[in-house]
Amino acid sequence: MIRILDARARRRFWKNRGARVGVWLVVVLVVFAAVGPLLAQHDPYVSDFTTGATSLGEPVGPSSMYWLGTDRVFRDVFVRLAYGARLSLVIAISATVISTVIGAGVGLVAGFYEGSEGARVPYASIALASVALVATIAGRGRVGGVLLVLAFVVAVTAWFLSRRIRLLDGPRLDADTGLMRLVDIGLSFPFLLLVMALAAAFDRTTVSTILWTLGLTSWLGTARVVRAKTLSVRNLDFVGAARALGQPVYRILVSHVLPNVAGPVIVLSTAQVASMIVAESVLSYLGVGIAPPTPTWGHMLYEGQDSYVSAPWMLVVPAFAILLSVLGFNLLGEGLRDALDPKED
Amino acid sequence: MRRMAWALFVVWATTTVTFFINNVLPSDPARMVAGAQARPKDVERIRQQLGLDRPVLEQYGRFMRRLVHFGPSQFTPKDPVHGTCANVWRLHFDLGKSYQQRRAVTTILGERLPRTLFLALAAVLIQTLLGVITGLIAAVKRNTAVDHLTVGGSLVGISAPTFIIGLALQFVLAHRLRLLPLDGFGDTNVQHVVCLILPALTLGIYGAAYYTRIVRDELITSIKQDHVRTARAKGLPMWRVWLKHALRNALVPLVTLIGLDLGALVGGAIVTETLFRWPGLGALSVSALLDRDGPVIMGTVIISSAAIVLANLVVDLSYALLDPRVRTSS
Amino acid sequence: MRWIPRKTELIAVAACVALGCHEPPASPLAAAGGTTAVRGGELHLASFADIKSLDPAVASDTLTGEAIELIYAGLVDFDDQGHVVPDLAERLERSDDGTVYRFFLREGIRFHDGSLLTAHDAKRSIERALNPDTPNSFASFYDRIVGFDDYTQRHAEHLEGVIVEGERVLAVHLREVDASFLAAFAMQVLRPVCPSAGDRYDDTWAPCGAGPFKLDTWDRGRSIRVVRFDQWWQPGKPYLDALTYTYSMNQVTQRFKLEQGDMDIDRELSLSDIFRYQNDARWTPLGAYDEIPSINGEEMNVEMPPFDNVEIRRAVATAIDRLQLQKLKTPSLVPLYRTLVPILGGDDPAFPAQRYDYDAALEHMKRAGYPYDPKTGQGGWPKVITYPTYKQGLNEYTAQVLQQQLAKIGIRIEIKVVSYPTYLMMTKTRGAVALAPVGWQQDFPDPSDFFEPIFATSAINDEDSNNGSFYSNPKLDELLVRGRKELDPLVRKKLYDEADAIICDEAPWAMEYQYRYYGIHQPYVRGIRWNAVWPNYVRDVWLDKPHAIASTNRHVPNVLASIWKVLQ
Repeated sequence: MIRILDARARRRFWKNRGARVGVWLVVVLVVFAAVGPLLAQHDPYVSDFTTGATSLGEPVGPSSMYWLGTDRVFRDVFVRLAYGARLSLVIAISATVISTVIGAGVGLVAGFYEGSEGARVPYASIALASVALVATIAGRGRVGGVLLVLAFVVAVTAWFLSRRIRLLDGPRLDADTGLMRLVDIGLSFPFLLLVMALAAAFDRTTVSTILWTLGLTSWLGTARVVRAKTLSVRNLDFVGAARALGQPVYRILVSHVLPNVAGPVIVLSTAQVASMIVAESVLSYLGVGIAPPTPTWGHMLYEGQDSYVSAPWMLVVPAFAILLSVLGFNLLGEGLRDALDPKED
Repeated sequence: MRRMAWALFVVWATTTVTFFINNVLPSDPARMVAGAQARPKDVERIRQQLGLDRPVLEQYGRFMRRLVHFGPSQFTPKDPVHGTCANVWRLHFDLGKSYQQRRAVTTILGERLPRTLFLALAAVLIQTLLGVITGLIAAVKRNTAVDHLTVGGSLVGISAPTFIIGLALQFVLAHRLRLLPLDGFGDTNVQHVVCLILPALTLGIYGAAYYTRIVRDELITSIKQDHVRTARAKGLPMWRVWLKHALRNALVPLVTLIGLDLGALVGGAIVTETLFRWPGLGALSVSALLDRDGPVIMGTVIISSAAIVLANLVVDLSYALLDPRVRTSS
Repeated sequence: MRWIPRKTELIAVAACVALGCHEPPASPLAAAGGTTAVRGGELHLASFADIKSLDPAVASDTLTGEAIELIYAGLVDFDDQGHVVPDLAERLERSDDGTVYRFFLREGIRFHDGSLLTAHDAKRSIERALNPDTPNSFASFYDRIVGFDDYTQRHAEHLEGVIVEGERVLAVHLREVDASFLAAFAMQVLRPVCPSAGDRYDDTWAPCGAGPFKLDTWDRGRSIRVVRFDQWWQPGKPYLDALTYTYSMNQVTQRFKLEQGDMDIDRELSLSDIFRYQNDARWTPLGAYDEIPSINGEEMNVEMPPFDNVEIRRAVATAIDRLQLQKLKTPSLVPLYRTLVPILGGDDPAFPAQRYDYDAALEHMKRAGYPYDPKTGQGGWPKVITYPTYKQGLNEYTAQVLQQQLAKIGIRIEIKVVSYPTYLMMTKTRGAVALAPVGWQQDFPDPSDFFEPIFATSAINDEDSNNGSFYSNPKLDELLVRGRKELDPLVRKKLYDEADAIICDEAPWAMEYQYRYYGIHQPYVRGIRWNAVWPNYVRDVWLDKPHAIASTNRHVPNVLASIWKVLQ
C-alpha cells in the first residue's frame, strides 16, 4: 500500500491546500469522536425535565450548562453530537470497507474476464423460462414455478457438461456480462424500496444492519470503475507475462492487477466515506435509520427539522457537523486524486 | 436492437422483484385502507374487495396480465374491465386502482409525472448553466483565488446532503425573508413557476457543484491539447479559443451526465419533493410505500426504472453517434 | 488558507440572518363589530393532510369528516356536547322497549340536485353504505339492525330492519336494545346521498347530498370549494357564500396565510406557535381547545411475559410520570389516568384512577417477584423488551422518555422504529409484541366506543385484534353488555365507571395523556363552535369583515432591514 503514494505523490499531496484542510477536518472529527464523549458533563440518554426545559416546556438553547443546548427530549446536544460522531465514523468507514471489497472484487473479476469464453446459456433454458413466465401470467402459478426450476436445472447441467460435450447451444454468458447485467438491474432499482425491504428482512435497525444495508447497496459504482481500470491494466505486458507463466488467476489479480487499481479505488473510497455519512443521515431522515435513542447525526437532523423555528440549534448543529465532516473527506479524496494523477499546469 | 431488448428486460426484472418484495414486507394494505380502528370484520371485507386474499403468484399473474393488453380504443371510466386503463388506440396499460385514493393508478401517475418532469428539467437546466459558467470561470482563472473559491464552494455543494441545502434555502428565503413560498405547487401557472424555484434550486445546486468540477477539469485538459494550441498560435482571441474549442470538448462528457441525471431525477428526487411537498412521483412513491399502497408502488417503480433505463439507452446510443471511436469498436 | 476564514465568516453572517430573534405574531385583523349575522363572504381553511374521498359511505378519517359535514346532512347530528339532536329529521322517537327508532323527516328537504328527500332516499343511502361491496370501514357498528347479517352476506336484497313507514317516516328496528345506536347512527356513514348515487357504491360518483353546502370544485390533492346550498332546510343559513379548504399545506405556511388574512381559521399550529399565540393578549381570546376525546397510553399484552403478571402491569402504570410526558408538548397534552375523559363521563375526582407513584411502583415490582433496587441497579425484569414505535406524532419522543422512566423500576425496553403499517400489524397480531404505544380516537361519542373495541373478549382475534392487549375478563364483558343495553343514563354511567375501575386496576393499558388541539381564528370569524365531535364546525359561521380589509400585515420582504438589524 505504501507503494501507491510514492515520494513525489506525497509531496504533491502536502503542498495541496485543500488536501491539508481536508486532513485537518478529518483529524478534528476523529479527535472529537474519540475525546468528546469523555469531556461531556451529561449522559446522552438522560432527559433533564427541570433545567433542560424552559418554564413553558421548550428545550433550552446553548448555555453554560448545556453547551449546545438541549434537544426535543431535553437531552444535552453536545454529548449526543460527540457520540453521534463516533457512530457516523464507524458506520461510514465500515460500510465503505464492505462496499469497496465487494465492488473491487466484482470489478476485478468482471474486468479480467471481459471478452472471455464463458459458459453458454442453453436456448432450451431460455425457452422454458419464458414459458414459465407466460404460465404465471396466465394464472397457472405453480406450473410456472415448476418450469422455472426446470429451466435452471437444465442450465446448470449444461454448464457442467459443456466442458466435455457441446450439448445445448445458446447465447454466451460470461462472468463479465453476467455481473455487469446485475449491476445494471441494481442501478435501476428504487433505493428506498430496497432499503426498506432490507430493513424489514433484518428485522431490527441496529448499527450493523445499517452498515450492511449501506454497504450492500453501494458497491455498484465501485465495481464499474474497478472494471474499467482492470481492463486497461490487463493488457499490460507484465500481466500477459504472468499469465503465460501459468500463474493462477487470483494471484495475478491480487499481486499484479490490484496494486495498479488501488489508486483510484482509494480515492473512490474516501469520497464514499463522505457519501456514507450523508446516506446514513438520509436514511434517518426518511425513517429507516438507527432506532432511537441512539444519537446519530441524521437522527438529530430529523428531530430538529420540526423545531427549527423555535430551537434552531437542534438543526444547525448536526447540519454543520455533517457538512464539515463530509467536506473534510471530500477534500482528502480530492487531494489524493490530485497527488496520484496530477493535471499539470 | 439487442440493447432495447435488454432495457426492457431490466425494467421487467425490477418490476417483478419489487412486486415480490412488496408482498414480503410485513403489513396489511387492507388495514391501511380501513383505518387503525376499524373492526376486524370490516377490514376482512375490504381485504376481499381488494383481492388481497389471493395467493401471491396469482396476484402477480393478474398484475402482469393487466399491465399491457389489447382492448377497445374507446371506453368509459365506469367500464368494469377497462375502467382503469390508459390507452394508445388499442394498446392498454392498466395498473389497477390505488387502495388509498380509489382512483386509477394511471390517472394518478399521469397527474404526477409532468410535475416531476417539470422539476427535473428545471433542475438540470439550473445545474447545467450554473455548472458550466462556474466551471468556465474557474478554468479560465485557474490557480487564482477565484478558482480556489469555486472549487471549495463546489466541494461544499457536493458535501451537503440535498435536504440540508433544501432546509437552509427554505429557512432563509421562505421563512425568514418570505421571498418565496415555503412549499407546495400553487394554483396558477405563475404560482407553479414560483413554487418551482426552491426545489429546483436545491437540486440544481447539488448538481451544479458536481458539474463545475467536471467542466473545469475537462477544460483544463482540453486547453492543453494540440488543436487548441494551434488555434492560439493562429492568433485567435482567448475568449474564442475557450468558447469554441475547449468548451466543445468539455461538453461531451457533460451531455452524458445530463442525460443520466434527467433519468435519475424522474424517480429519484424523493427527499426534495418530500421537503417541499412538490406533488411529483418521488413524494408519491414515499407515501405509497408508507401506506403500503401496492398498485401505486408498482406504478412509480415501473416509471422510475423505465426512466433510468431509457436515459441510459439514449446516452449510450448518442455516445455511439457522437464519438466515432466508440462506434467502430461496438 | 485565506479562503477558509472568508467562508466561515460568510457562514456566520448567514447564520445570524437565519437565526434571528423571534418575531411576535402579527396582530389580528379587525372585525367590523357587527352583532347580527350577515350573509356573504368566503371562508378559507387549510390542512396539512389530504382527503381521499368525498363519499360518506367510505370516509374514515377526521379531515374527510370535516368536508363531509359541509356537504351532507344526516337525519340526526351531534351538538356541541356530543348529544344526538335532530337535523334533517324534525323529531325522533324511540319505542319503549328501545328496539325501534322512528325518524320523522322535515317537509320539503331537497338534495343538491333539486330532488326531494324522502324516507326512501334515507333507506337507499343506508343500504348503499352497508352493501357488502362497499369498502365501508364502519359497517359493523350497525350489526344490531334486524337483517344486517342476511344483507351483508348477500342472503337478502334489502335490509329487513330499515322500514319506510311513510313518505317522511323511517323506522329502524334493532334485534336487541342498543344504547349506543343513536350515537353511531348520527355518524356520517349512513347519511342520505342524492339519487344519482344509486344504490351501489361507485367511486366515480360526483358527491351530492343534502347539506348546507354543495360541492363546487374538487382539485385532487389540493383543495375543495363548496358553495352555499340555497335550499337548505334552515332558512337564511348558511351565512357564508362559499368555503375553500386547501390541503397539503405546510403548517408554517398556514400561519403565514392566517396573519395575512388569506386564511381564517388555523387548528394545526406547531408547538412554538401555540405558545406564542397563547401568550399574546391580542390572540388569547381568539383561541380555544377542542375536546374531541382521543386517548393515548401504553398497551401491555397480558398473554406475554412479563405482562401476564398483573403486578408488573400495575408497576408500569404507576411508574409513568405523566407530568414529565406532558412537557413534550405541554399545551396539547392533558395527563390521563383513566379510560373515560370528562366529557364522556369521566369526571369524578374521587374515582380510583391510575396515578404516578414511584414508591408504589417499586412495591408492585416487589410483589410481582422482581424487586428492583434503584441504588445498585440490580433486579427488575431480566430480559429486554422490544418496544415498537413509529414516526408520527409524539410517539418517538414519548418512547424515549418512557424508556428512561421504566428503567427506574428495573424494566428495560429497546426501541424499534417501524413503519406505521408494520406497527399496526404487530400490535394486532397475537404473540407479536409485549409492550407498545397505543391510542384511540373517538369513533362516536359514547363510552361503549372506548371499551368494547379495545377491552372486550369479543374484540380478540388471532390476526387482526383491536384488543391488542388480548385482555379478557368475563366480569368486564358482562358490565359492557349491560351497559350497551341500559337506557337509563345514570345507571349506565355507573356501569361504565365500574368497567373503568377494573381497567385502571388491572391495567392492560397504562393511560398517559389525552391529546387536544388548540385552534385560533381571526376576529371577523363569528359563530364558530368548538364541537365535541366535529373539528372546525363552521356551518353557522358568518364573516364580520370591514369593507376594506387591507391587511397591514403583508410581509414586505425587507431584506435590507433584516441585514441592518443583524449588523447592529
